[in-house]
Amino acid sequence: MNEYTYEEIETGHIESFTVTITEEMMDSFCAITGDTNPLHCDGEYAGSKGYRGRVVYGMLTGSLLSTLAGVYLPGKRSLIQEVTIKFAKPVYIGDTLTVEGVVEEKNDTFSLLMIKATIRNSSGEKVCRAKMQVGVNG
Amino acid sequence: MTREDIMEKVRRIFRDVFDDETLVITDSTNSSDIEDWDSLEHITLVVSMEKEFDLKFDLKEVNKLANVGEMVDLIASKL
Repeated sequence: MNEYTYEEIETGHIESFTVTITEEMMDSFCAITGDTNPLHCDGEYAGSKGYRGRVVYGMLTGSLLSTLAGVYLPGKRSLIQEVTIKFAKPVYIGDTLTVEGVVEEKNDTFSLLMIKATIRNSSGEKVCRAKMQVGVNG
Repeated sequence: MTREDIMEKVRRIFRDVFDDETLVITDSTNSSDIEDWDSLEHITLVVSMEKEFDLKFDLKEVNKLANVGEMVDLIASKL
């Protein structure tokens, strides 16, 4: 886990990591949230709607932003305050996602990082775009 | 820039942040007058004002502000 202080991070700082989405993740997310929508739980139903399999929960993909801030940027001192997220393309079980965050702006008064985050699949397609406001504890 | 000019820009920021064009903002308005004015929105307000007026606040002076009028006075003192 990174332990960056506010002062150690400059505008333009980039961190990234990769994750492969598994069936177990989907089952766990379903159990935690109770979202049993067939688009996520029933492959046949998802196929009938034009998808090539169960569609990964957008919020499961989005939850990787928690890891981006809490483990990588800035890491230990992170306090997520705001996230605006767009789900641009479907994600499927087995996809390997690359989560990347770049610090676009800093605010010295409140020790805040404004982070632009993108999540891409293994084909390089952006599946998720987000803006995050993350505080850095002293 | 006159104090009223500053107040008008501050009103615009409040209406944008709280997405409410009907919001009435006066010198005496404080966080108990606006339901959504919590600590996170306070950060959003202050950051927006730093950008609008191209200035920097000190966290201690921001935390001492009791109402919008004091915020406007603080901005005026820095311009």
